[in-house]
Amino acid sequence: MELLTNIGLNHYLTISALLFGFGLFAVMTRRNAIVILMGVELILNAANINFLAFSKYSGGMEGVMFSLFIIVLAAAEAAIALAIVINIYKIFRSVDVSSIDTMKE
Amino acid sequence: MHSLIQLSIAVLLLPLLSFVILIFFNKRLPRRGDFVGVGILGTTFALSFYIFWSVVVQAYDPAFRVAWDFTWIDFGNVPGVGPLEIRMGIVIDNLTAIMLAMVTLISFLVHLYSTGYMSGDPRYGRFFAFLGIFTFSMLGIVLADNLFAIYIFWELVGLSSYLLIGFYFEKDSAADAQKKAFLANRVGDIGMWLGILILYSQFHTFSYQEIFANLAAGKFGLGEAWLTAAGILLFMGCVGKSAQFPLHVWLPDAMEGPTPVSALIHAATMVAAGVYFVARIFVLLTADALHVIAFIGAVTAFMAATIAITQHDIKRVLAYSTVSQLGYMVLGLGVGAYSAALFHLVTHAFFKACLFLGSGAIIHAMHHEQDMRWMGGLRKPMPWTFATFTLATLALAGLPLTSGFMSKDAILAGAIGFAAAEGGGIYWIIPFLGFFSAMLTAFYMGRQIWLVFFGESRTHLKPADPHHHGHDAHGSHGHDDHHAGESHGVHEVAWNMRAPLVILAALSVFAVYSPDPLDGAKGWFLKMVQTPATVVGSPGNTAGHESSPLALHEGRLLAEAVPPAQHKAESDAHSEGVASEAASGVHAEAAGAAAHGEAHGHEFSDPRQAAIAHEAHAAHWPAIMISSVMVVLGISLAFVVYVFRIIDPEKTARSIRPLYLYSFNKWYWDEIYDATFIKGSVLISKILSWFDANIVDGIVNGVGAMTRRVGFATGGFDKYVVDGAVNFTAFLVNTSGGVLRKLQTGKVQTYVVLLLLAVIGYFIYYFTQLIY
Repeated sequence: MELLTNIGLNHYLTISALLFGFGLFAVMTRRNAIVILMGVELILNAANINFLAFSKYSGGMEGVMFSLFIIVLAAAEAAIALAIVINIYKIFRSVDVSSIDTMKE
Repeated sequence: MHSLIQLSIAVLLLPLLSFVILIFFNKRLPRRGDFVGVGILGTTFALSFYIFWSVVVQAYDPAFRVAWDFTWIDFGNVPGVGPLEIRMGIVIDNLTAIMLAMVTLISFLVHLYSTGYMSGDPRYGRFFAFLGIFTFSMLGIVLADNLFAIYIFWELVGLSSYLLIGFYFEKDSAADAQKKAFLANRVGDIGMWLGILILYSQFHTFSYQEIFANLAAGKFGLGEAWLTAAGILLFMGCVGKSAQFPLHVWLPDAMEGPTPVSALIHAATMVAAGVYFVARIFVLLTADALHVIAFIGAVTAFMAATIAITQHDIKRVLAYSTVSQLGYMVLGLGVGAYSAALFHLVTHAFFKACLFLGSGAIIHAMHHEQDMRWMGGLRKPMPWTFATFTLATLALAGLPLTSGFMSKDAILAGAIGFAAAEGGGIYWIIPFLGFFSAMLTAFYMGRQIWLVFFGESRTHLKPADPHHHGHDAHGSHGHDDHHAGESHGVHEVAWNMRAPLVILAALSVFAVYSPDPLDGAKGWFLKMVQTPATVVGSPGNTAGHESSPLALHEGRLLAEAVPPAQHKAESDAHSEGVASEAASGVHAEAAGAAAHGEAHGHEFSDPRQAAIAHEAHAAHWPAIMISSVMVVLGISLAFVVYVFRIIDPEKTARSIRPLYLYSFNKWYWDEIYDATFIKGSVLISKILSWFDANIVDGIVNGVGAMTRRVGFATGGFDKYVVDGAVNFTAFLVNTSGGVLRKLQTGKVQTYVVLLLLAVIGYFIYYFTQLIY
């Protein structure tokens, strides 16, 4: 039970890896562009957890600074990505990424 | 500059001015500008006559000479040739002055005559322009002081004769005739040019005086044979221009030109040019060259006379008569009777111009009928023409009291003297042919007079000719066409055509030239124009003489040495003259022998000339006797045949048909030339054409075919190797592109998967690296 009570760095990293895996899974398998964006948010937050965990156990403040930047960046990214999605919807009348393949060949 | 030179330049250029004005402006001038031509030629004649008067009458000096020259082109120092400059100049001596007056007078009269004869012609103005340039060219020949200038004007005469002979160029016969004249002349001119070049190669000058001076000084380095060749080559020019055998064929055909042109070309200008040129170069002709010239002249005289007796065309008879008389002149030059030949040139010019213009008047009045068979009885309607024509005929036949008698007799005397001096034998052929031709001349001229002027009109006998289309526009319309009697519609020509006839006939009378009708040597002409001494061969003679080198250089050795004796002989008793001449001959001979014994060619120098002159003088009376008998014989024969009809000409012609046909067909010269030169040229052309078509074209085609093969080979290389490489590259790119483009699905998630796989791949690689 030590594993459950004695919380260490590995726990953080495991959560982060799981979160990353879910995010990646969502990005790779979902067809809806908005769901993909949500997957991206998961991946970003997985990265945040990684940064904060390493920051806590290494004693420096660089990881905190990075995660703060990533949160801001994620907000900006979400705004721009949603704007792109809205425009895609205007053009293709759909947010299904599998049907948006005019770049093919 | 001497005032006479200035005048002569004006004389030379005025006809050219007439040409320029008329050729450009004749359509804008009233009367097509004929008054310009006539007026300018009148002025030219007046100036020429002033020169003639100053030189011949006032100066009265056989050695009179004025010269002027200038550098025309200076090429500087030409590599390989040396200093090269061409000088032009004018020389006036007695001969020039006489020729100037003669040419301009006849040209002026022809201009005047043409205002009548050519009126109504569509190219009336241009005709006068051509006459102008013709006169200009001839005056250039007369005045030139060097061979280069004379060659230029020689060719100009050829050109202007071409223009005039082919004046009615719509007619094929006229166009053919002009070509024939031009080509025949070209043959002669090539020889003449080669002769000029031979002399130039030795002396580097074209000037007569310098060439003669160099020859006299013995500077001719090629030897006797080349000098003879040069003389004969130069004489070829004369053979062409003066229509000598064997290039005489152009002259009769040149009758296609308008009749005034015939008068101008065949009397005063073109044909006289050849004789004049030989006279100018007379002193450089070697004895061999002179023999050739004499034989050619004799053959020409005889041949043309035999042809003239059977021709039907009034102008053709006169044309052959011209050839025959030119033969006399050339014969005269060849036998050394220089002054006699030139005398005949001048007298012949006047009476032959008169005959041609007279025949023109007849043709004009007969509405362009030229065939004597359909004439007859013209003496009543055309008394002026009849009188002048008859007078000129007598002069041509050489009856006493005419100019022709004196000049022809002088030539024949020279021929006898020549034959005697050369030692007889084959040389007697020359005087024999001369006398025989004199008889024939009398015969055919008697025939012509009778056929044209006597008997009844035979106009109605002419077979109907559907193609006949006379230029009747300027005929006798408006006058009494129903003239009584035999000559329907024929009447005398107007004053502007009559006046030249009268003037020219008057100049055919002996009194113009000599007070003694039997001896031309008493007249001014033979006193003023004297045979110059030859400059070829013997430097021994020049050294032996007392006369200054300058006098010799000017070709006057004999003029100073022998002629004084001649003068004396002429004025004194005959025998005394012979004696003094013989003395001078001996003197010259002694001088020749005394100086350089080794000098080459003594026999061609003064002794020979002196001997000929001596013999010719002795032959004066025999020549008169024989030629008179011959002429009377000829005229009697004409009377017997055509007047009394004792011998029927048709029957005679039939009985000697081959001979008749031989004469009638002009000795078949045209046919001979056709069979040899023309057919030969055609054959050579065909051979060359075959060569061209097979050999040259074969080479060209072979090269072409080879190029094609090479092209195919390089084309194949290009197609399969170079293109193959290029296409293979493209194929590679295409194939790999086809494979790679499958990766580009356009689906973002595929890319994410690929990215993930790449990262995983990287990690696998990284960790394997770590492990090993």
